[in-house]
Amino acid sequence: MRKNICEVIRRELDELMLDETCSTAAVDHLRECGACREFHEKQTKLRQIVGSLGTVAAPADFDFRLRARLANESSSAASSFGFLAWPSLQRGFAAVVVLVVFAIGAYLVRNALNQPPAVTDVAKQTPAPVVTETPKPAQETVTPTAAEKPKPQDVLVVQHKRPQGNRIDSAGLTAIKNKPLATRELSSTGATVVGNKEPVGTSTPFSIDASSLQYFRVSVDDGRGNAKTISVPTISFGSQRLMQNANQLAPKKVW
Amino acid sequence: MNTLTTIDELGFAPALQQDVLEDTTSDHALLEATRSGDQDAFAELVSRYRNQITSYIYRMTNDYDGAVDLAQETFVRVYRAADRYQRSYAFSTYIYRIATNLAISELRKRKRRKLVSLTGFFQQSDGGEPKEFNPPDVRPLQDSDLVDTERRNAVQRAIGTLPEKYRAPLILRDVDGRSYDEIARILETSEGTVKSRISRARGFLREKMRAYL
Repeated sequence: MRKNICEVIRRELDELMLDETCSTAAVDHLRECGACREFHEKQTKLRQIVGSLGTVAAPADFDFRLRARLANESSSAASSFGFLAWPSLQRGFAAVVVLVVFAIGAYLVRNALNQPPAVTDVAKQTPAPVVTETPKPAQETVTPTAAEKPKPQDVLVVQHKRPQGNRIDSAGLTAIKNKPLATRELSSTGATVVGNKEPVGTSTPFSIDASSLQYFRVSVDDGRGNAKTISVPTISFGSQRLMQNANQLAPKKVW
Repeated sequence: MNTLTTIDELGFAPALQQDVLEDTTSDHALLEATRSGDQDAFAELVSRYRNQITSYIYRMTNDYDGAVDLAQETFVRVYRAADRYQRSYAFSTYIYRIATNLAISELRKRKRRKLVSLTGFFQQSDGGEPKEFNPPDVRPLQDSDLVDTERRNAVQRAIGTLPEKYRAPLILRDVDGRSYDEIARILETSEGTVKSRISRARGFLREKMRAYL
């Protein structure tokens, strides 16, 4: 019961302003209850300390800064929405200009992306491999001697790392074009036997007139100005002769 | 014919004086004038409230420069929203509400940033704001002014460690001396909630300031 009275009195004291007077019931209770009296004294002291904090003055240039801020905001707002105040013709023209500028920019960026990098950069990026380079003059075959023949393990075949997917980027193509030709000696490894199952060529078959003496000429051009012409004498096969006399040798009514 | 010696003898002087007085003292009238483009009226409003608002935000945030910035932002918002202002509340309630919202927003931003204080390792068990440990300097001081200054600093630091929901009503009540009704309007809550929060805030402060009481 007494505890409830203390709570009620403390709440009343707590809600009063410092300069307000408390009720007579509270005064009587404080006279009797030492705990509440101590609470009231401490509370009053605390509130006096908190109240003594007072008001902190704003800086002297507060008004000036506020005016500058308001002016700045109003000007920025006007510039942000000024576009809407233009006449429709001007707005349309401005939109077209923006689109044209954007398209030109996109075109330039695309060109810049597709442009191959400088050769020097490629040369810097690819380390110098141990490659037997043979400067090939036109229509000249270079046959290295046995001493000059590089060992297979010394020959490095430069392989450009291809990007993900099947496409070779422009930098890779440029590097392949500019790469000096390298030959690889395979005489010691033996030739690959091509079976008769594989198609040898895709050219259309043509007849060879074996009766007259002709030379079969083949021109090879590697596309870089190096051309080579090979002359082959007429070849006659036994089967050809056989076919020419087929009517004589074939048994009659037996075929 | 009697000659008039003073303006009071004209007969309409009291009414004129009353109008002028009302126009120059009412915050509502000043805001109305601001709405119609009177810059001087807004300057008068600023001069009336700049110290109060700056001080209130400073007590809330414990950062003077930040408080000045937020006080300016408060006035900018008042200026921008002058057209939407309603006279249902006192202007002081309106501007204090804006300032409170800005201060609480700033406190929450700081909380998100999680500024690490070297003395802020003592966190509240209920997940509230971290309470800094401020051991009182118990050495005797020679000058009573120094004692008062030390007490004020200590109580300012202690207020700064209160959770924001207790801090605002305590400052509005014990520092600014506002009524419960006005505090409830500023904080947009009930009067009973305000009373209980202030009581709890004082309890926190009593614990922290035990050495000074």
